[in-house]
Amino acid sequence: MHEMSLVQALLAQLATLAAEHNKKRVITVTLDIGPLSGVVIDSFQFGFDILSAENSLTREAKLIIINPPATYQCIRCGHRQSSLVRPDHCPECDETLLIPEGGDGIILNQVEME
Amino acid sequence: MCDSCGCDLPTDHDHNHEHAPEIIKVHQSLLAANDAIAAENKAHFEAMGIVAINMISSPGSGKTTLLEKTIERLKGKIRIGVIEGDIETDRDAQRIRAKGVPVVQMTTGGACHLDAAQIHKGLHLLEKEPGGDKLDLLFIENVGNLVCPATFDLGEHQRVVLVSVPEGPDKPAKYPKAFISSQIFVITKIDLLPYFDFPVAEAKADALHLNPRLQVMALSATSGEGFEAWIDYLEAVMR
Repeated sequence: MHEMSLVQALLAQLATLAAEHNKKRVITVTLDIGPLSGVVIDSFQFGFDILSAENSLTREAKLIIINPPATYQCIRCGHRQSSLVRPDHCPECDETLLIPEGGDGIILNQVEME
Repeated sequence: MCDSCGCDLPTDHDHNHEHAPEIIKVHQSLLAANDAIAAENKAHFEAMGIVAINMISSPGSGKTTLLEKTIERLKGKIRIGVIEGDIETDRDAQRIRAKGVPVVQMTTGGACHLDAAQIHKGLHLLEKEPGGDKLDLLFIENVGNLVCPATFDLGEHQRVVLVSVPEGPDKPAKYPKAFISSQIFVITKIDLLPYFDFPVAEAKADALHLNPRLQVMALSATSGEGFEAWIDYLEAVMR
């Protein structure tokens, strides 16, 4: 349940941003959470619901989570494919060893605040 | 700036006016704060000439036993220090201390992983231990958990994931992140292979399927089988 630590990091970033921009209320928070990030999105949402209710800045904030695909490069022919789930093989040469690239990000993309 | 509502108007105004919503582009990792401290840790390791190894596995896979045997084997040749991570107790640190090397125990008080800030703190505590200020090799024994520690960079040079024979061969397939983010996969307790259904080749193939660059080794710290490959690996990363 390391999602709770990540939610705490998010709330700390939101507090800093609100102070920098003189904002009092977060309306929406948009995050990119990649399929290889090791984050369970339901657990993250659960943690956010609990911790965001603890202060007026984030009490009414809505969380929008985008799940971008990862890229897999074939170790034999170099072919790249994008996918949310790990592909079994390369569609070009049938090789099964594919190296994942990206897809492990947990990125705060944008915040709507007032 | 108004202290009541934070807007740009002078303090003396009513607060019924609307503050226009604004979209602020951020594009920053939630792990940015952790990763910044991890980068400082790595710089600190390098300034001190330390190679740091982060060990990740389920509880009971034999991390501490492997460390005990490694210390016995390398003591006198290589200066080893250990940062132990556990939710509660200093039992692992006591086991390592009994081997005569500097060790600190970080108890996370419930948290399921070590983060870079705890390693920063642990490093300074270790420097106060006898011999802890001059090390060649630092082992960080993470909290026993195959999931959460994989997300947190500690500034280590190498990440080792361990699976013991009694746990079964399906761990790479079930817990991919730990295997994708590691350089070495160590199968431990192979002296128990006669008693468990653990096809070593299948576990290796599953792990390589996730991460073709992974180096895989199988050993028993108690019987010593396969142990030399581990020592060879440690000596290679220290060069």
